[in-house]
Amino acid sequence: MIRVKQLTFSYTNRPFICSMSFDVREGEIFGFLGPSGAGKSTLQKILTGLLTNYQGSVLVNGVEVKARDRGFYEEIGVDFEFPSLYEKLSARENLRFFASLYKKSRDPNELLASVGLLQDADKRVADFSKGMKSRLNFIKALIHDPKLLFLDEPTTGLDPSNARRVKDIILEQKAKGKTIVLTTHNMYDATELCDRVAFIVDGSLRAVDAPRSLIMAKGASIIRYTFLQDGKEQQREVAIDRTGEDELLQQLLKDNRLLSIHSSEPTLNDIFVEITGRRLA
Amino acid sequence: MRLWALLRGDVRFQYKYGFYFLYMFLALLYIGMLSVFPDGWRERAAILMIFSDPAAMGLYFMGAIVLLEKSERTLDSIAVSPARTHEYTLSKLFSIGVISVIVGLTIGLVGGAVKITIQFLVGLLLCSCLFSAVGLVIVARSVSLNSFIISTVPVQLLINLPAAAWLFGWQPSWLLLHPGVSMMQLCMPNRPVLPSGVILASWTLAAWVIANRTVAGMFKQIGGVKL
Repeated sequence: MIRVKQLTFSYTNRPFICSMSFDVREGEIFGFLGPSGAGKSTLQKILTGLLTNYQGSVLVNGVEVKARDRGFYEEIGVDFEFPSLYEKLSARENLRFFASLYKKSRDPNELLASVGLLQDADKRVADFSKGMKSRLNFIKALIHDPKLLFLDEPTTGLDPSNARRVKDIILEQKAKGKTIVLTTHNMYDATELCDRVAFIVDGSLRAVDAPRSLIMAKGASIIRYTFLQDGKEQQREVAIDRTGEDELLQQLLKDNRLLSIHSSEPTLNDIFVEITGRRLA
Repeated sequence: MRLWALLRGDVRFQYKYGFYFLYMFLALLYIGMLSVFPDGWRERAAILMIFSDPAAMGLYFMGAIVLLEKSERTLDSIAVSPARTHEYTLSKLFSIGVISVIVGLTIGLVGGAVKITIQFLVGLLLCSCLFSAVGLVIVARSVSLNSFIISTVPVQLLINLPAAAWLFGWQPSWLLLHPGVSMMQLCMPNRPVLPSGVILASWTLAAWVIANRTVAGMFKQIGGVKL
């Protein structure tokens, strides 16, 4: 669905994105992870045709983005990080207007209901909370039933239950065969939703793989346990493949003196830090 | 049809943001003012009012409309939709043109300035589209309402002053090439219609072509490229 080869882009004289190459397969959720200013949004602008003065090749849905025509946008839905809505129009009027720009469209009511906004459909967007605007912005990207979705921080500003709704809709879109490009610095969303993630730092890709593969390849699971010593609670940890060598743990188990014991895997954030030396948030 | 969809969207936007209410109020104000003019002055005053306001409203309104779209980031969504630049600009020109014609025709009829309706309407619509296109060129490069207003001042002087001078008797022949004068020629009876129509249409077309280029640049700036 997307094929990027030797992509280089610059806002100034200095390259901002350097020789980037990757593919996004049809029907997968592909995540771009990186700290602010890493180049994620710039990359999304290039993939959506907002920036066309790049070097290299960027094929999206079989079209070289530089040479796109307006028909290119019939199959692309973009959820920008910040709401892009007419504040004095109602939610339904906003959806109807944007739907009218495309050849095909979905039922606005069905979409509004899917994110819990049907009862507020005729309310002015100016009266919406930040989270409501964010949900409306998200379904606006789906109004023309595109094959390819670009979602920029789709769960930012949402409470846990609405974030869950949005994530479920993203997974439903994937089940329908849609390709989704997710830009985020939320490692939990990326781990849960993405088939593959790309780590971006300073305009270059440092790793591309499935989140689980990255976690399992780079990090060893840890066991943490606590116990009492001289009346104070102490904590120790040991790699899961070295528990047999931990004599203290053996002894505590034998004496039934463990207060707690947990296993923990490294998170995607831990792996990101390990590979790139930078933090996600 | 996408142009029709954009046009309906613009009309709804202008209605919701109170533009129509504002112009209904201004039309009533102008009509009230015309009623106090003596009969000999009324026609000329009506033409000057129409030229400097309903016909020119696009110059001022385009700033408010596009800066609102910029602040609400709806231009971002339009930039990644199938809407073409010329559809976007035509929709803006026509939506403002409709109000210009309704308000201008009302003032013209009350002031007794409408002699040949079709000529009057064509002149008014072309002039409105010209001002709107110039407004689009200015607002596409403006970052705030203040910078937009400051930039419109020289344009207003360039268009309004020669036209007003013509209306009040300073009429060198070369001034017939001026778009404002062409509009007045079209609106007044017993004047050469075809040359004025061609001159005004040419100015309007040229301004629209430049507006398309500038708006295309504005859409690129959404991507962060400085042009």
